[in-house]
Amino acid sequence: MRRASLTPYLFVSPAILLLLAFGVLPIAVAAAVSLTDMNISGLANWGNVEFVGVDNYVALAADPDFWRALGNTGLFVIVGVPAIVIVSLGIALMLERSGGRFARALRSFYFVPAVTGIVAISLVWGYLYNTQFGLFNYLLSLIGVDQVQWLSDPWLAKFSVALVAIWRGTGLNIIIFLAALQGIPREYREAAALDGAGEWRTTRSVVLPLLGFAIFFVTVTTTISWLQFFDEPFVLTDGGPLGATTSVSIFLYKEGFRLNQFGYASAGSLVLFAIIAIITFVQLRLRRPDVDA
Amino acid sequence: MKRTVTRTLAAVAALGVAASLAACSTDSGGDAEGPLTVWIMGDSGANFEQLVAPFTEETGIEVEVVAVPWDAIDERLTTAVASGSGPDLLQIGLSKLRTFADAGALLPLDDYLGDHPGLAADNFPDGVAEATQVGGETVSVPWVSDTRVLFYRSDILEENGIDAPPASWDELREDAATLAARGDGQYGYYIPQWDSPLPVIMTWDFGGDIIDADGNVDFDTPEFAEAVDLYTGLYADGSVPTNSDFDQTQGFISGITPMLVSGPYLARSIADAAPELDGKWGVTMVPGADEKTSLFAGSNLGVWHNTEQVEASLDLLEYLSSVEAQLSWFEINGELPAVSAALEDAGLQSDPLVEVYSQQLADSKVLPLVPNWDGATGSDLLAALNAIVLTGADRDATLAELFAKTEGVSIG
Repeated sequence: MRRASLTPYLFVSPAILLLLAFGVLPIAVAAAVSLTDMNISGLANWGNVEFVGVDNYVALAADPDFWRALGNTGLFVIVGVPAIVIVSLGIALMLERSGGRFARALRSFYFVPAVTGIVAISLVWGYLYNTQFGLFNYLLSLIGVDQVQWLSDPWLAKFSVALVAIWRGTGLNIIIFLAALQGIPREYREAAALDGAGEWRTTRSVVLPLLGFAIFFVTVTTTISWLQFFDEPFVLTDGGPLGATTSVSIFLYKEGFRLNQFGYASAGSLVLFAIIAIITFVQLRLRRPDVDA
Repeated sequence: MKRTVTRTLAAVAALGVAASLAACSTDSGGDAEGPLTVWIMGDSGANFEQLVAPFTEETGIEVEVVAVPWDAIDERLTTAVASGSGPDLLQIGLSKLRTFADAGALLPLDDYLGDHPGLAADNFPDGVAEATQVGGETVSVPWVSDTRVLFYRSDILEENGIDAPPASWDELREDAATLAARGDGQYGYYIPQWDSPLPVIMTWDFGGDIIDADGNVDFDTPEFAEAVDLYTGLYADGSVPTNSDFDQTQGFISGITPMLVSGPYLARSIADAAPELDGKWGVTMVPGADEKTSLFAGSNLGVWHNTEQVEASLDLLEYLSSVEAQLSWFEINGELPAVSAALEDAGLQSDPLVEVYSQQLADSKVLPLVPNWDGATGSDLLAALNAIVLTGADRDATLAELFAKTEGVSIG
């Protein structure tokens, strides 16, 4: 009897250990480091590290660059999450309706961005966006539009960078929606058809409610990934121009690894961690109980 | 886009663990008896192996070369400092020298210089060795020289009635406006938006400095104000492209921007990419009515602080500072020597480009060795200037913010 009750723990222990080592421990270490003035000379010699209490958090609250990064991240979330959810849901619904060979080829086509290396992606998009030699500006010049500064204009750069991330982020979510769509029992649609519901009505009143959990899942994971937005601005603009695409993650990276302020960066990463935790928790609480699925 | 926080946290944690391990062991750079590990910046690792082959032959000391990309050096340094195991010898860009020294990564060399006459300060151009001391200690020796000169397209300048390259910044601004008037999408000059030394060079050439008598950074001077006028004026005239993704080599070759201040590496790119332009472009000293001072931007070599092979490292260092090695490095890799005797070499001087470079090197200064030029002071300076020219931020308010941000930054 005793052994039986231990067995499940034995089975989950590898996962728990990994989670502790690579999830909980780093957060704990960062929490400890965030209370110190750890920098590169502290790394060289432990004796140079001093306990500074909550000084780093106070400094963060007074740092206009941090607030700017928070503002940018907020904008990315507000623009990016609905964009990814709506675009991938729309594409998934259309792909699901047409079952031909071409549609199946399209499925892999939409998934390509998700499996392509970010550096290759950024190189290509960098060329597309280039002001002098880029394809976009060339096409626009054909219809007489002046050069557009895709990555150099502080406002436009935010959207240019976000567009790449949206393009890259949809692939995986389309697959999730397609899988969820295939899980909807055929009987429901037949019943709706017998009741005289049209295509549009069936989608709105039967399919979408049954996709509730998938939409919820995609929204939560997409929100988290936008809150940690890093790769695209890092490779396309390095947070520029003039900090316009500096997300919180980029800000932390620069503070930590370019300015070597590990204590300060750790404090910032804990703030970001707290924000993500709170937002995810609120999303989980707000979720209405599922329809039968 | 995913898991960055975890990644950052994990990296910090790994550093912490590594540092604590390093604290309780006597781990150090390289093995006691084994190959010397050398970090060489950029992609010239293979060339460096070729350079040190005679050294290995002569002394039997193997040299293992690690090429570190320029933009990965910060992370490399952090990891090496944290783990306590670095290379034996390493190349350090001058703008990173203070950061390395402050981290305690470099071995002070003063006690060893007596036994190695090849490394003495008087082997190098005036002031360079002194200027690259940190806190009064010699932590590195000059290795390659680099400077900034004015590149110009003589053919385009002539077509537009400009007979000689501009000799002062005011002339340059006028000529740039003339050249920009060639038509839509044409400019006169190019300002790289990432080039933090450029405004400093301009300040020097108006006869000022960004460091006050006490060694503190001071941008609140009339000369810097003149430099700001020039910088913003070039934008206001429409003489420079405003997009940050402008390609300086392509811009010069295509003639869109027929003038710019850049380093010898640009000459190489132009010669490689557009040999047909030969004879249609030239270099000259940076403009300046009072001074023609430019940037001294080379790299130094330093010995890792806890290497167990100090003597072997110093031997290699001395070999690399020999006239032969310096000249052969120029031949293999195109980087200018730092040793005076090599710079004055007749064969080297017969190259008209090198003649200009060495004239300019004779009148050039290193950037002030503040704690973090690239990450802090320099980027604050660029952010301020670019905010004024690109987003139309208020000049006085932006500069006041820059003064406040850089107050108290010192080379001491």
